[in-house]
Amino acid sequence: MNAPLQPPAAAPVPPPEAWKQDEAALLTMLEEIERKHGYIPHQIGDEISRLLEVKLERLKRIQGKLEGGVRRDVQAHVARWRGEEGNLIMILHAIQNQYGYVPRDVAMELSRELGVRLARIYEVITFYHYFKLQPPGKHNITVCNGTACYLKGAAGLLNELRSQLGVGEGQTTPDREFHVEVVRCIGCCGMSPAVVCDGKTHGRVKPISIAGLIAGVRAVAAAKEAKP
Amino acid sequence: MNAVTPAVLEDIARRGRPAPGDFVRVQLDTGGIAAGATEVFDCLRETVAAQQLGLPVCRVGSHGRAWADPVVEIRAAGLAPVLYGQVTAELVPELLTAHVRERRLLDDHVIATGPRGTTIPAPVAHLLVRDTGPGEGKTQFFQFSFAEELKRRGLADRVQVVRALDLGIYDEGVVVQLLPGGITYTNVLAPDVARIIERSVQQQQVLDDLLWKLPELQVRIVLRNCGEIDPEELGDYVERVEGYQALHRVLALTPEQVIAEMKVSGLRGRGGAGFPTWMKWDFTRKQPPGQRYIICNGDEGDPGAFMDRSVLESDPHSVLEGMMIAGYAIGATQGYLYIRAEYPKAVERVERALQQARAAGLLGKNILGRGFDFDAKIRLGAGAFVCGEETALIASIEGRRGSPSPRPPYPSVRGLWGRPTAINNVETLAGVPAIILRGGAWYAGYGTATTRGTKVFAVTGKVKQAQLVEVPMGTTLRQIVFDICGGVSEDREIKAVQTGGPSGGVIPDQHLDTPVAYETLQALGSIMGSGGMIVMDKTDSMVDVAKFFLKFCVDESCGKCAPCRIGGYQMLQVLDRISRGRGAAEDIVTLRRICLAMQKGSLCGLGQTAPNPVLSTLRYFDDEYRAYIEGGPSYARKMARTAAGGVGEPAPVVVTPVAVPSP
Repeated sequence: MNAPLQPPAAAPVPPPEAWKQDEAALLTMLEEIERKHGYIPHQIGDEISRLLEVKLERLKRIQGKLEGGVRRDVQAHVARWRGEEGNLIMILHAIQNQYGYVPRDVAMELSRELGVRLARIYEVITFYHYFKLQPPGKHNITVCNGTACYLKGAAGLLNELRSQLGVGEGQTTPDREFHVEVVRCIGCCGMSPAVVCDGKTHGRVKPISIAGLIAGVRAVAAAKEAKP
Repeated sequence: MNAVTPAVLEDIARRGRPAPGDFVRVQLDTGGIAAGATEVFDCLRETVAAQQLGLPVCRVGSHGRAWADPVVEIRAAGLAPVLYGQVTAELVPELLTAHVRERRLLDDHVIATGPRGTTIPAPVAHLLVRDTGPGEGKTQFFQFSFAEELKRRGLADRVQVVRALDLGIYDEGVVVQLLPGGITYTNVLAPDVARIIERSVQQQQVLDDLLWKLPELQVRIVLRNCGEIDPEELGDYVERVEGYQALHRVLALTPEQVIAEMKVSGLRGRGGAGFPTWMKWDFTRKQPPGQRYIICNGDEGDPGAFMDRSVLESDPHSVLEGMMIAGYAIGATQGYLYIRAEYPKAVERVERALQQARAAGLLGKNILGRGFDFDAKIRLGAGAFVCGEETALIASIEGRRGSPSPRPPYPSVRGLWGRPTAINNVETLAGVPAIILRGGAWYAGYGTATTRGTKVFAVTGKVKQAQLVEVPMGTTLRQIVFDICGGVSEDREIKAVQTGGPSGGVIPDQHLDTPVAYETLQALGSIMGSGGMIVMDKTDSMVDVAKFFLKFCVDESCGKCAPCRIGGYQMLQVLDRISRGRGAAEDIVTLRRICLAMQKGSLCGLGQTAPNPVLSTLRYFDDEYRAYIEGGPSYARKMARTAAGGVGEPAPVVVTPVAVPSP
């Protein structure tokens, strides 16, 4: 990563014909450039994406490589757990803690870094409920649907949320403001039914108080924005 | 804390438990924090500092009284410790002024905890009053009567009459407790008021006809330190509650002696299956030499159960010590604590406990100078119920998806990374240090002939006081629900108690007098499980409950074997049809057949036990299924309306249909 800040002005870009159709060739070339400069100069990246009408995902991946941020993050997470057997789940936890979900390009980078096939990583991500593939909303509302909460009317709370926000279980409002999630049990059965709004747990919630909770979340957000 | 050496431990053991000084304790666990205990804690700190009361304000774990959160315990002004429930930050200044400065207890917040005495050792200072009869309306009247009577006799400034929040006795009319001493009178009537004041308060005599003599039902062994120590301080555990003394003692024994002691105790796995702990350790120990592992199963996926969370948050060092003892017994040098990621507070406190133990030399090489090496790591679960199953849990620790594999080979032969592994539940391990210190025979003295010791239950649902209870095996379900937890909320009629979570079954009203043990619950078509106990009242539809649990199991099925993957889904379709009033009489026959196939053909415990909720509701509440089938859609809609309303909530909401693909 300690590459010269200024890349050579006339960075040699190989002729596009060689790699335009062939992804493997493109990757080899990118790696070559990276080896040469220690990183991929953005001029080269821009040139490549211009020449190549790449799909969004591949473009993202190339950009991810260019920025190096994703790679650095992944390397940091992997370094923390390197040498430990069975570290994949713990690394995924770290990634989810950082991004709030497991972005596709990060999973791809992780696959390269660990030398584990992407399919295996996705096998693990999709098996466990805790890992998410979609970015969370700005505010998360989690309804506990453990048995105690269920008996005391968690379904009513979900319906109220649906009518207030227009989204149901596992969905995010179109403006990405609110994400509604249902979890198995948060272990607060003594105060069921429970709802967690942005990390704060509210107990003995009634459908009638949902509107107040949402207003509270909005008010806190507004106050935060007003402060700076 | 400094290094913990054998000399330090021996010194502490010689001195015995220190006499407790004055304190203010706030129970800070997930439940308490959710109810606002952090605000109460901060406010207490500020107020104590501002008023210069000179009291330490401590953080402790939870006693388990989840219904009363946030809970504060105060020992000051020469009074015995008093527990206050449902404290708010606004209440703090008043609470401190009253209790610490004026030796007055606060109305409507006191929870009686101390042992109920049979003598009056000192002049009575406080009278706790509560009407435990139906309606609970007479508390205020009796408080007034007692106060008036005291005033008439000129005792008003010496004795205070307090309305209590909870006295631990239910449905026994007006209950009065005299402090100090804890003499308790039940079924007190208006004419008794003068008598109690004259005889008991003035002359310190016990009124035998009113005295409550029944012994305390709860025995706290696993929960012994919960709510007593600061879970984030190793020093508290070592110095105040004989922490790591059991480990010290064990390291002087041979592993065989440790296993023999466990055999005497009769402890069986508290995760649900009830496999004898000593046998599990013995199998693992007898494997060919080499690397072995001990795993603590803290993947409490069972909805409605929170005892593992509570123990990990309130007393992490007990679990760790139990794990080290297990490690020593089986010859393991590496342990894993597998904890749900949904319990961040538990993970944080266990992580801290590990760091402190490592810093104090209790983890690492040559522990306590006895040549025993041990280290432990945390692995996070990621929300898969099937990972509570041993082989799936191992797969998850190895970083793979949590699919179970066929047994045998059992984990004690081929477990983590193919090495012999013992897997014990949090509750099992937390009890181990107590068993070692007091002896296996002491532990075996509790419980029934086949099931020794105590069990923690999380009693939730439609119950007045949702809380953790620890009772000796053999206590009846009725005692747990009515005598310890105060009965059904809003004084409705009880319909059933569900035990064992999604793998368990419902136990109807007529069987509530069954003593709790692994075998008796199994005979009723349910299981002990991890100890979730959910109370259901007459308004709950059993078909709906069966559907809820089955949906859970279908969601959680890993899909590896067909009986579970396909059977569960098909059953859910049938149940959904019935619950919408579109079922036919043959559907019940189909349900039973699929249940049988799943029980016989599934690979792991999840699939084998998934039909339990359906089978047990069919067994005891057959008529409800038939009512749905015969009543048709209009009946189903009527039931859905009452169910969606929740407790006394006449909200006109539509029940979300289960996702069924259109044909």
